[in-house]
Amino acid sequence: MLRHIFSKSRKSNKREKKNQDVKIPSLIYDDLTENLSNIKKILDSPSDLIVRVFTIGESGQSCAVVCIDGLVDKELVNEEIIKSIQISCTKNNQELPLSGKNILTELENKVLSVHELKKADTLDNVMLAILEGDTALFINGINQVLLVGSKGWAGRGVEEPMTESLIRGPREGFTENIRTNTMLIRRNVRDPNLRFESNKIGRRSKKDLIVCYIEGIVHPEILAEVNRRLKCIDVDDAPESGTIEEWIEDSFLSPFPQILHTERADKVSTSLFQGKVAILLDGTPFVLIAPTTLASLFQSPEDYYERWFIGSLIRILRYIAAFLAVFLPALYIAIVSFHQGMIPSRLAFSLAASREGLPFPAIVEALLMEATLELLREAGIRLPKTIGQTIGIVGGLVIGEAAVQAGIVSPVMVIVVALTAISSFAIPSYSAGIAFRILRFATMLAAGIFGLYGIILVYIMINIHIARLNSFGIPYSAPFAPAFYHDWKDLVIRAPLTAQHKRPQYVQTVDDTRSNKGDENS
Amino acid sequence: MKTFEYGDNEIGSKEVTMSVASMVIGFGVLTLPRTIVSTTNSIDGFISIVIGGILILFFTWILGMLTTKFPKKNLHEFTSLIINKPVATILTMIFAFYSMLFVSYEMRGTADISKLYLFDDTPVEVIGFVFLLVVIYAVSGPSSVIIRINLMFLPIVLCILAVLILLNVNFFEVKNIKPFFVTDWLGILQASRETIFSFLGFETILFYNMFLNKPKDMVKSALVGISIPFLLYLLIFLFVIGVFGTEVTRNLLYPTAELARLVEIPGGFFERFESLFFTIWVMTLFTTAAMAYDVTLLALKSVFNKVNRMTLIFILSPIMYIIAMTPQNVLELSIFGEWISYIGIILSMVIPVLLLIIAKIRGVKVNG
Repeated sequence: MLRHIFSKSRKSNKREKKNQDVKIPSLIYDDLTENLSNIKKILDSPSDLIVRVFTIGESGQSCAVVCIDGLVDKELVNEEIIKSIQISCTKNNQELPLSGKNILTELENKVLSVHELKKADTLDNVMLAILEGDTALFINGINQVLLVGSKGWAGRGVEEPMTESLIRGPREGFTENIRTNTMLIRRNVRDPNLRFESNKIGRRSKKDLIVCYIEGIVHPEILAEVNRRLKCIDVDDAPESGTIEEWIEDSFLSPFPQILHTERADKVSTSLFQGKVAILLDGTPFVLIAPTTLASLFQSPEDYYERWFIGSLIRILRYIAAFLAVFLPALYIAIVSFHQGMIPSRLAFSLAASREGLPFPAIVEALLMEATLELLREAGIRLPKTIGQTIGIVGGLVIGEAAVQAGIVSPVMVIVVALTAISSFAIPSYSAGIAFRILRFATMLAAGIFGLYGIILVYIMINIHIARLNSFGIPYSAPFAPAFYHDWKDLVIRAPLTAQHKRPQYVQTVDDTRSNKGDENS
Repeated sequence: MKTFEYGDNEIGSKEVTMSVASMVIGFGVLTLPRTIVSTTNSIDGFISIVIGGILILFFTWILGMLTTKFPKKNLHEFTSLIINKPVATILTMIFAFYSMLFVSYEMRGTADISKLYLFDDTPVEVIGFVFLLVVIYAVSGPSSVIIRINLMFLPIVLCILAVLILLNVNFFEVKNIKPFFVTDWLGILQASRETIFSFLGFETILFYNMFLNKPKDMVKSALVGISIPFLLYLLIFLFVIGVFGTEVTRNLLYPTAELARLVEIPGGFFERFESLFFTIWVMTLFTTAAMAYDVTLLALKSVFNKVNRMTLIFILSPIMYIIAMTPQNVLELSIFGEWISYIGIILSMVIPVLLLIIAKIRGVKVNG
């Protein structure tokens, strides 16, 4: 049903788009002043628009440099464009041919010492380039424009990723600049088969979007599916890769992330080598990786940097953490309110003593504490870093302690809630952590009504949901089911790298061999 | 260029193995030791299980042979080829009815035993209703989902059984399983009939046949699938008798679950292992019920091609619920179960043999 509504809205969007395009005059005229006034008309003469008109050397032919202040590298525009045109044409006493096309090739070949140079025939392309930070060179009498790549704006440098820090591993994280990001990937993957397919996203914002993959590894059907879905996107603006994610994910009703996002360059390059596709968007450090499975939510690059034994143990720990994050409060509720007999008698006594005089049933108590915790977490993110810690201490310790002393919650409940909070942070993917947090409330409610029986039914339902879910044609539950036993080497445990000769089979890579057996001759 | 092996509804041989195993392991295991020792003494029921198991292996082989002859076809399609269409329709309808009853039985069994081990005063009707809702959620998707669920759940169920058996090693007394060979043959044969009852469920391959991507592997993987519960039954029976002895077992309602009651978790983490055991056991009850429901839908769908799957679910579910809630007590439920088993024996053993013979005589060959 919802899919239908969506596809309809997509179609109607396209109709509007056609109406939009008509308004902009798309021709470039011979007359310089007319072109310049057109540009000013379209942009409504903003204060950051730079239009510099001057004559080419002594030839007397006028030309104009158009760019947006702040987006361009000023030094490059001044030194390499304006200055070189002015000086080189006078110093050498060279007479430039005045006729149309020649002046363009002459400038292109001998004068402009820049590495990125394009020609444009329509005003549309020129406008787009200017707004992207390129510089346009109009010449009077010629209906072509030279576009000089001069992007250079103030941006963040390559820093350590904020959301995914590791103990051991490269410290480089993506930035908001898509070129820097492609550079980081290119530096990790020096394979000539690495492909960057550029697209533009956003009817108005026209952002750069790059689909990145390694040809010869990725399965063509996955790639085709990614491209097909990207083509369906029709929005005004894509402020963050989250917009892309929501447009192309398989099921928007699912709490589970069907596309992984990461800030880490090494995670992207590893995924590319596994036969996955990365989607980069300009303006965000978060790169999308598709397809994604449940198991890959538990994988962190660090697993492969540490020795396999440590990596395996940590990964097992993460699976336990996920279990605790979803089921621990529910188990507590179920056992305390339905199956008291399951608690060993000594513990039962102390539990009963701690719960004596509490006004609420366990389910209310748990919901109360979990809601408080979510509140604290949300507040902690919004607050400035220095205050954030204080709130953590005030909220976590003081409220917890006070609630226990006031006799509103039992101390065991505080332990349970704290443990679940810690567990949900142990999962490397933040969005997966959120999914588990949502599911936790479902299990708690089920446990409050049906006890252990409710928990197992919710567990079954979660499994059904996961088994139904797909990510770009790959079952979300792979490689558990459908079972790819070979991939189990890198699932719950991370087998030594020397034992993993094949790429993951569930992604169905074209070239499936990762490494040869450690043979001296090979 | 390789193509996607699992993007569509196809299933491989290991999926068949797992599905057959988890279809068979269900409610029957919980009562099996009691029904066996009601006509046998001490460990002699072992022979009954072996006889029953071998018979079942034989009939699974027959089923496998039949389905391998007609790759990618379901019961309705190949019966139409072998005999004719009206007969095929009637047979498929009976099959649908049988698997519908199977769902009801499994649901009622789950509700009854949940009430026994997990709840004190929640009514059976509510417990059964919630269970049915989850089953409906499962079958409202494609069949491949249920098969994937089997793959995820069966290892967990086998693990909990292994734990159950391991933790009972201390209570095993050799004197309980002696003396050997004290039962008459009639008793042993009667017990093996009971064993056959609890092996029912393997006939689902008559319908899952059409999803198989390598039809040739059907026989082998179905046989392996049956061997898993076969070994499991032997092991559980051995332990139930070894721990409780014949007399006690006869008077236990669910001897296998009672085995869990004895367990003491090392370290004293928690007590009453049977609650945990049963909680996990709901998973296998669920897979059995969901698969039976799925087979009902597949059967009806093969007859009424145009009816929507969801429509069928909406019509069938209330009927199943009412049937499940009709038996008033445990005795009536077990009579209900017995009748289902008789239909099951006819459908999964007699009819396939007949079909195979007729197919051989008439020399039916599938084209392409």
